[in-house]
Amino acid sequence: MNLASTSTLVNGRSVTIIGDGATTLLDFLRDSLGLRGTKEGCSEGECGACTVLVDGRPVDSCLYPALAAEGRIIETIEGMDEGSHLSSIQAALVATGGIQCGFCTPGFVMTLTALLQKQPNPNRNEIVSALAGNLCRCTGYSQIVEAAVSLSELEEES
Amino acid sequence: MPLSHREISPIETKVNGRQNVLEKRGKQVEFRRSGDLEEALTSLAELGDKAQVLAGGTDVMIQLERGEIFPETLVHIERVEGMRDIAENGRLTLGALATHIDLAQSPVLCDRYKSVAHAASLIGGWQTQAVGTIGGNVCNASPAADLLPPLLVHGTNVLLVSKDRGEREVSLADFVVGRRTIAREPDELVTGFSLDLSDGRTADVYKKVGRRGAMEVAIVGLAIRLSVDQAGTINDARIAVCSVAPVPFRAQAAEQALLGTKANGKETGSAAALLLEQVEPIDDVRATANYRRMVLPRIFESAVADCYLLAAKDLS
Amino acid sequence: MTLIGTSTVRTDAVEKVRGKSIYGVDVEIPGMLHGCLLRSPVPAGTIKRLDTTAAIAMPGVHAVCSSADQPDTLAGWILCEQRLFATEHVRYEGEPIAVVVADSREQAKAAVAAIDLQIEEEPGVDLVTAMADDPATPLVHPEWETYRPAAGPETDHPRHRNIAAQMSSEPDDVDAIFEQAELIVEDELISNRQYQAYIEPKSAVAVFAEGRYTIHTAAQYPFNVRDRVAQFLGVRPSSVRVVGHTIGGGFGGKLDAALEPIAAFMAEKTGRPVRIANNRTEDLLTCPSRENAVIKIRTALDKHGKMAARELLCDMDNGAYSAESIWLASLPLHIAKGVYQVGPTRVISRLHYTNTAPTGAFRGVGGTYLYAAVERHMDSIADSLGIDRRQYRLDNLLGDGDTLLNGQVLDDASTLEKSFERLDEILPWDKTNGSKGPYQGAGLGGCIWLTNPMPGQATVKVNEDGTITVITSANDNGSGAVTMGITQIVAEEFGVGPGEVHITSPDTDVTGYDAGSQGSRTTHIVGRAALDASLKAKEQLFEVAAGMLEASPADMDLVDGEIGVVGAPGSRISLAEVAAAATWTIGPIVAAASYTTPAIDFNPACASGLLFPTMPTPTYHAHMAVVEVDPITGQIEVQRYAVVQDVGRVINPTGVRGQIQGAVAQGIGHTLYESLQIKDCRYLERTLENYRLPLAVDIPTVEFITLEIPDSEGPYGAKGVAEPPIALVSAVLANAVSDAIGAPITKIPITPEDVLEAIGG
Repeated sequence: MNLASTSTLVNGRSVTIIGDGATTLLDFLRDSLGLRGTKEGCSEGECGACTVLVDGRPVDSCLYPALAAEGRIIETIEGMDEGSHLSSIQAALVATGGIQCGFCTPGFVMTLTALLQKQPNPNRNEIVSALAGNLCRCTGYSQIVEAAVSLSELEEES
Repeated sequence: MPLSHREISPIETKVNGRQNVLEKRGKQVEFRRSGDLEEALTSLAELGDKAQVLAGGTDVMIQLERGEIFPETLVHIERVEGMRDIAENGRLTLGALATHIDLAQSPVLCDRYKSVAHAASLIGGWQTQAVGTIGGNVCNASPAADLLPPLLVHGTNVLLVSKDRGEREVSLADFVVGRRTIAREPDELVTGFSLDLSDGRTADVYKKVGRRGAMEVAIVGLAIRLSVDQAGTINDARIAVCSVAPVPFRAQAAEQALLGTKANGKETGSAAALLLEQVEPIDDVRATANYRRMVLPRIFESAVADCYLLAAKDLS
Repeated sequence: MTLIGTSTVRTDAVEKVRGKSIYGVDVEIPGMLHGCLLRSPVPAGTIKRLDTTAAIAMPGVHAVCSSADQPDTLAGWILCEQRLFATEHVRYEGEPIAVVVADSREQAKAAVAAIDLQIEEEPGVDLVTAMADDPATPLVHPEWETYRPAAGPETDHPRHRNIAAQMSSEPDDVDAIFEQAELIVEDELISNRQYQAYIEPKSAVAVFAEGRYTIHTAAQYPFNVRDRVAQFLGVRPSSVRVVGHTIGGGFGGKLDAALEPIAAFMAEKTGRPVRIANNRTEDLLTCPSRENAVIKIRTALDKHGKMAARELLCDMDNGAYSAESIWLASLPLHIAKGVYQVGPTRVISRLHYTNTAPTGAFRGVGGTYLYAAVERHMDSIADSLGIDRRQYRLDNLLGDGDTLLNGQVLDDASTLEKSFERLDEILPWDKTNGSKGPYQGAGLGGCIWLTNPMPGQATVKVNEDGTITVITSANDNGSGAVTMGITQIVAEEFGVGPGEVHITSPDTDVTGYDAGSQGSRTTHIVGRAALDASLKAKEQLFEVAAGMLEASPADMDLVDGEIGVVGAPGSRISLAEVAAAATWTIGPIVAAASYTTPAIDFNPACASGLLFPTMPTPTYHAHMAVVEVDPITGQIEVQRYAVVQDVGRVINPTGVRGQIQGAVAQGIGHTLYESLQIKDCRYLERTLENYRLPLAVDIPTVEFITLEIPDSEGPYGAKGVAEPPIALVSAVLANAVSDAIGAPITKIPITPEDVLEAIGG
């Protein structure tokens, strides 16, 4: 038996991770913790639907070993809304229509949350650059980018 | 002889006796964390080639899932202290655990080793750059590895350590010996890289050709490092290229052709022609050999022009 | 304040942004087992050995099944050609050969690896081979003559050997006109496949109990999945119940059954719920992608430069099985003229079986490459005549009363002219072309598209608390047709907010037939059904309220959720009060309506093998793009993209924008970034690393104008919105790039290599 265990914080709650080396953080979140908001889109770190925050950094949880999360602060989409209030980026996405099928949405929320924490007033290029690892097939991106732009206090570049 | 690059399909199975890819990874994989360098070296000494070193995991975890590698143990080194620093001290040293974001945002790299910082910023997206490391990129040794050309033009040496034999240094060119093949003993750990110092009147650029605006595996990657003398004549020229041969390499003939010149159109064109002679591009899923041959001289001329301007910028 | 034309927030937005929606892949049934498929590693061959003994013995395994266990049935959407598992022959890489069901996914995968499979590989038939139609070419379906159409023998269609369907329209005078032509212009276009690449891969969870199968799936067309499962298992459709869940994108790729039939079969075999899910590579390899096609087009021009006759030949790649593609083979007839006046036109369309993954519907279907061919040809003709490309189009546009080749009359084709005029407001043609840089190009084009006419049904229930429930199997594979379109229409009828309208998830046990989220039909068809049902429910409400208010039902109205006498401000009663009163007196307020677009007149003698006869509820469109090519790398940047689209009536502006932007992004993907190449009958691209979906950095913000020319049948005049904006993207980008590089573009996708070859040096 090659299972090991360790502990970490997920959305502020202490949890025990049990898995082997090949257990991904994504599998652990979905199957062991029942947190199904983080999605599996490709299992190869291309689509970003599995994005979670590890110590505030956006990470593809499909490629992050669960046991590597020892002692780290993990945040998932379930931790983003403040009880019954949406976070500002969540509310902005709802308002601009940057949500269609919604499967990519949690990943975008996580990456944009990390961006706005790091850079509260990003310009459009910074937003688009930060989103390179998040694929959307439905929206064509404009309304998602506008959601982030709406939270930035910088003047829109023409 | 062109190499064919065949993606391994996860749905492959045993057909007519050929070994099954999935079968190889039947058992669970041990996860062994290393608190410090000594622990990591002890694990590697004990396990040898039954171990796979794991830092960020952005390459290793894909290969594990697809059954391309089948280690018994993942030796997790991400927490090892002292392997993430970037410092100038005789040479420029880069810790193997420096992430791509560390490299992309490093003030010293952005100032005087721009090709390294820029290449790091082009590897995948934010999610990859947040955890992916220079050590991982080099040791994965993809023919398209973005960091290899910049490291090659800076005369990089690879620093390795093992429990039994201590430290060893080897040139990067002698370390990456083939497609996905490195000259690392199973008990060795790559701890960092040392680069030639860059002074005034030296500049470097990295150009990457892909299809989309980001997230690309390089179709062609090219690093140029030029130094000029007070008259603006090139007195040191280094050219390294990836994705046009099984291993990224320095194009010495083209380098020679630039020495003693001021990189005017004709001189650069001659160098470009020599570069073309040295490459062995193939048709692969991303692009044809024909396209690589067409774009390489163009991107080369553009890179040399940009690099020369930067190198000579302080001259009147 | 009307809700129609307002950007109300879609009613599922909050649950989606919080990550709470349950998608097909998220469904969990207690006690469910996990299936993993053994899929063919070769495109064509004979199975020599299939020994599952070792697999059955592996830990956690409950059952292993293959063709030896399957019912003796043939299934198919239009033609019944397919068995549950590959039986003796494999026809495409990825075709299911066997399935293992085990306690965990990992155990199932490991057991699949232990199956001893020996296949004698044979040379596969690809499109080029099939087109040659050589008698010596192997048959992909040696038993093709024994196959029967799903809808009965009288519905059979022209098919022969490796030609799965053929549609031919051959007016007598075409050749004679060509002989007299002043000038003949000929063009060709090859278009590659496109993978839908919805972010949620396919899955299915099946339960078998009391002789019935219940399937949980995120499918676009639950009733079609039901029918397919029933065919494969040899049972009546009513033995199968399909329960729909939130869909993580579909775009046509989730219209047919995929994993459901095998999951259902194994649920019965094991007596446990069974889940099967594709990993991304499996999904890519087996998804019914947009087909690759070869189009040859030529036009005879008379001495006035008019298009006197035309011939269009279209060869389409069916892949190994037909599914819906048999109908789609008719599409070339409707698009052969584009939106222009063209004389007699010969159209021959052939759909070929090949040893590749079965192809199917992807937003816009063959319209994308057909319009690309026709619009490239228009540029080619205009250039041959030395006439401005926009002017030539305007001079030859279809107008009111003109017909398509099937004889269908276009009553409002003058919308095309309006569309081109309005397009010029966004991107002025002359000014743009006058100020182009050396590496820039501009292209434009027009199209007609349809709104799928197939039936839908809605039942409206007025709840005792005054909220409204709409019971329907209509689904929204992301577009918002349900959570905006139908919601707003019903909310408007009852004078309540959108949050007061709840729409159920699809369930084939509960609702009437719905033809799924395809062809932009949902707002138009089910919105209309829901509107009609709402009106009926209101009649019932007025009857009851009239009793309560001692007035006549004819004098009642419903405004802002209250019912009262028209013109009498006092004594209005809330919807909730009336509904509650009704429940306990005459019974609950429930009304149902069905709707399907009435058949359109056309000339049935216009073609043989015409299975998709008309373009119902047509809409008109004009697009223009400006591109710039990079002379160093050959990369192509879409700098501006403009759309004028006739939508009938805008129900939700944000929703309409999302569909236009999203469709254009997919079109840009197909044309410039995505690539699904076939070599030796295998895909070269197999993961999202090399199947390059465009990123935010690659897509410009689309500039658009909507025209509201109401349809008499549609709810508030609404016509289909979501599909058409993709139909012109390849066309205008190909024209723009061709303009930029000064050389014809004859294939989709367009690569940087094409650009560098053309600009030379």
